[in-house]
Amino acid sequence: MTAGLQWKGERVINGKFLLRELLYSKKQAVIYILCVALSLVSLVAVNSFRSDIDRSISGDARALHGGDIILHSHYELSPGLQRAVVSLTEENRATAVRAWEFYSVARKSDESGSLLCNIKVVENGYPLYGRVDLASGREFSDVVDAGKIVVGQGVLDRLDMAVGDQLLIGSALFEIVDVILYESAKPVRFFNIGPPVLVSYKDLPVMDLVRQGSRVEYETLLKMDDANSVDSVAAWLRGRSLDGQERVETFRDAGSGIKRFFDNLLFFLSLISVCTLLLAGIGIESSLSAILRLKEKNFAIIRSFGATRAYLLHHYLLFVLILSAVGCALGVVSGLLVKGYLSVLFSGFLPQDIVFRSSVADLLEGVVVGLMVVLFFTFLPLWRINNIKPVVIFRRESSREEKTTTYYLCIVFGFSALCALLIRYLGEVSTGFYFLGGILLLLLIVNLMTRLALFSLSKIQWRRPGSRLALRSLLRPGNVTQSIVVTLSIPIALLLIIYLVENNLRGTYIDSFPADAPTLFCLDIQKNQQKAFRELAGGKITLHPVIRARLISINGKAVNRGREMKKRRDNLAREFNLTYREALLEDEILVAGKTLFRKDEKGEPVLQVSLLDTVAEMGNMTIGDILQFNIQGVKMEVEVTSIRSRTRSMLYPFFYFIFPEKYLKGAPQTYFAALHVESEEIPFLENRIVQSFPNISTVNIAETAKEMGRMMQKLSKIVNFFAAFSILAGGLIIVSSILATRFERIKETVYYKILGADSRFVLRIFFLENLLLGLLSSVFSIAVAQAAAWSLCHFFLGISYAPGWGACLWLIGLTIIFVVTLGLLGSIPIIRKKPGQFLRQLN
Amino acid sequence: METLLETRDLSKLYSIGERKVKVLQSVSLIVGEGEFVVISGSSGSGKTTLLSLLSGLDRPSSGRIILDGQDITDLTEDQLAPVRNQLTGFVFQAFHLIPSLNSLENIMFPAELLGDRLAKEKAEQLLKKVGLSQRSNSFPEQLSGGEKQRVAICRALVNEPKIIFADEPTGNLDSENSEGIIELLRSIHQDQNATIVMATHNKAIAEKADRIFHLHDGRLTVER
Ligand SMILES: Nc1ncnc2c1ncn2[C@@H]1O[C@H](COP(=O)(O)OP(=O)(O)O)[C@@H](O)[C@H]1O
Ligand SMILES: [Mg+2]
Repeated sequence: MTAGLQWKGERVINGKFLLRELLYSKKQAVIYILCVALSLVSLVAVNSFRSDIDRSISGDARALHGGDIILHSHYELSPGLQRAVVSLTEENRATAVRAWEFYSVARKSDESGSLLCNIKVVENGYPLYGRVDLASGREFSDVVDAGKIVVGQGVLDRLDMAVGDQLLIGSALFEIVDVILYESAKPVRFFNIGPPVLVSYKDLPVMDLVRQGSRVEYETLLKMDDANSVDSVAAWLRGRSLDGQERVETFRDAGSGIKRFFDNLLFFLSLISVCTLLLAGIGIESSLSAILRLKEKNFAIIRSFGATRAYLLHHYLLFVLILSAVGCALGVVSGLLVKGYLSVLFSGFLPQDIVFRSSVADLLEGVVVGLMVVLFFTFLPLWRINNIKPVVIFRRESSREEKTTTYYLCIVFGFSALCALLIRYLGEVSTGFYFLGGILLLLLIVNLMTRLALFSLSKIQWRRPGSRLALRSLLRPGNVTQSIVVTLSIPIALLLIIYLVENNLRGTYIDSFPADAPTLFCLDIQKNQQKAFRELAGGKITLHPVIRARLISINGKAVNRGREMKKRRDNLAREFNLTYREALLEDEILVAGKTLFRKDEKGEPVLQVSLLDTVAEMGNMTIGDILQFNIQGVKMEVEVTSIRSRTRSMLYPFFYFIFPEKYLKGAPQTYFAALHVESEEIPFLENRIVQSFPNISTVNIAETAKEMGRMMQKLSKIVNFFAAFSILAGGLIIVSSILATRFERIKETVYYKILGADSRFVLRIFFLENLLLGLLSSVFSIAVAQAAAWSLCHFFLGISYAPGWGACLWLIGLTIIFVVTLGLLGSIPIIRKKPGQFLRQLN
Repeated sequence: METLLETRDLSKLYSIGERKVKVLQSVSLIVGEGEFVVISGSSGSGKTTLLSLLSGLDRPSSGRIILDGQDITDLTEDQLAPVRNQLTGFVFQAFHLIPSLNSLENIMFPAELLGDRLAKEKAEQLLKKVGLSQRSNSFPEQLSGGEKQRVAICRALVNEPKIIFADEPTGNLDSENSEGIIELLRSIHQDQNATIVMATHNKAIAEKADRIFHLHDGRLTVER
């Protein structure tokens, strides 16, 4: 630079310049702000909702689990463990309370009604932590006593009873003395099935329900005097427990079904939010690109006056910063509003004592993740300004930015950082990784399909000038056809997947509840009750023997309990119901092995087992594998000799493990029956069964299926709500694209008109263009959704699949209407104007 | 000679905020069939404004325009469509070719709008006539200024309009290309007996016309 020249403009930020630039592109700026806001909304909402749930469910884990240390078993505690507990209490190191929990049918004293209830028998001192709130406001310990029970409101409602009435459970008669309002141990009840009943331990023998082989959870809750001793005592107790049968947990590591449910649901919602985030990111990129493309010439002119790259970059960084800050603020505020609405959306699913509050940390986490995305997606357009050369003035067409190695390095680095952050946010490395990979693959596939479709369309010789022009318009530079198709296809596919899966689940379990499917399950039938039960239930009934056992090892390799319990689906660590029989059931086929069991030639008994294909998959088990079971204390090694598959719906009873009769005949066992009863007769039969056999539990399958349906509907509503945000991102990109190509559109409309085209012709072009967009988006989303939903149903849920083409047709129609309406609304004002004045601008 | 285009007391006002600028004041002119008329005037004198009124691309503030016996002043945009398509052709200073169509398609376009089955043949012939057959697949951005203007003229001719408006067709071209374009327009005028109304501020080009009007201070005077 020549020495004498003054150079002032560079260092300071020119406020007027900035303001002018902001105002000049205000519509695109609004879109940009909305995209930034959208990227944050669901993230902030879900994140902050998640911590509220966490706080209220596991915030007080002692209250949820009811003790410092929890001993769990399906049997009476083994003598060793029992002695250990007694010694702890005798030394005054701990207080212990026992509880027995099971499902049983309660009857009205006049036998006019019965109801499956969740019964918990508790010793004095329960609960050690947390509380049981009663309607009367009295203390729980003062109320429950021999012959006196408290029940959930559901019991009173369903049996049409009131406090003071009498209720039969097992062989004992109780007086209902109060209503349970809230239990810390059960903050949420998802199902209307099995309302709670709390009973004093004094009545345990009178009820006569806890028998050999019946399904009872034995719990011993310990409250330690010295809080610091929890872990060491737990370890000590663990050493005295029966492995594979007794579980010793502390309040810190104990699992909870409720927590798992919310973890799963919120994790899923986080995935959808991340999806929205990425789509909004594409919106951020495309709207900012549009703003900058509009100004490319300005930049070049300004640079030809001598402004440096830094000058432009600084101003535009500030420009983007201001817009992003506004977008973030908007996103956070609307995120909190949405969160407020979530309590309505989730009603019936939420812990009663949940406190909604917004901690700064939760907000911050959402905002940081959102900002990283904004940063990443604004990088590309800003890179472009930095590389604009004054020579652009002389070119008519927009410049192609130079892409250097640094550029690609920045992208790769930024993208890896983004992925790392998102995976950290999701909190599950492998799932997060697969999810991001899946989304990227999906983006790539849809992008490729779009390119391919446009390419082949452009190769067709279009006879009508309208179609030709519409297509050319889609292919025009600056028209973000690909972005639109991608950002629309993915959320629409998501919605469709949810719909299809829900529909197929509903179709399998609820709507087409097979006419001959069992409607009533009877459990815990004792050996000596078989004959009487058959007579009472009538008809031909198969009584399946049930022997409870755990799988210890596969080919000598111990089943990893910790890992199994973390599985989102069924796991190998739980207690299984084994059975024995010599033939396949009607709906079973062999998929491996020639016969159900191998006949031994030498007459030597071969210890063998037949697996159901689903359980074989869970543990990668095949024929010839050696499995070791713990059958109520007795270890047994067996070889897998066949694998079965089922041809009917899950509603028919099935068993994972089948043994030849002779091995299990002697094991402690109960019987299970699946009855087909007309639904209006179920209550009467239930009544008769439990009257005669109070220990037998009955489950109304028809009603359970309906309840599941209700729950599914509710869940899908929640998920749809979140998926809708992604659709919004698609809509924003369409509007942004219309704005970005507005000038081009005006120009072309004017050209068509001066050459003699009427408004119908122009409208037809716009219509065709948007029709194509809508068609591509919906067809791709349907392709993606069908593939995904089919895989989910086939591989994951194992149910038959109906593609629901009717819904897909609707979807095509709706998408096209959505896209065409948005597109035409943006274009119609141009058609009305006289071309003369526009021509002047085009020179 | 029959009258093809006639205006009566045409005026055009532009309002810039509160202020009103009178660009054209009671302009009356008559153009007969087969005439080659030039409207001259310095830059900003209102030539473009007048041409866009005459061709129905813009609406006058007052006065009437009669084209081929039809009063087009109050026609709606859709009623003007067939007029623009068949009766008039327009050649612009800035070419205004449709960027997404190649040369041939640009020329075919008005004929296709009309539903002419011979659109392609006609366009090819015209391209050949202006010596651009080898550029028929080129898009506007790939053409030079002179080539673009020749394509634009072909496009204006394809439906054989009765009258062609040309607004400084050589304004964006060098002198060599300019001469070529003027020659082309003249030959069209002579061979096809087309009526041409051309605006220019170039004295030398104006000399080639049958009649010359002059625009100054919003008023039109006959120069020759
Ligand atoms: N939309 C408008 N608003 C205000 N003034 C205009 C507008 N369009 C044209 N003008 C003015 O009208 C005058 C004539 O312009 P124009 O017809 O383009 O002249 P020419 O083509 O002879 O150069 C100019 O002074 C111009 O500034
Ligand atoms: Mg002009």
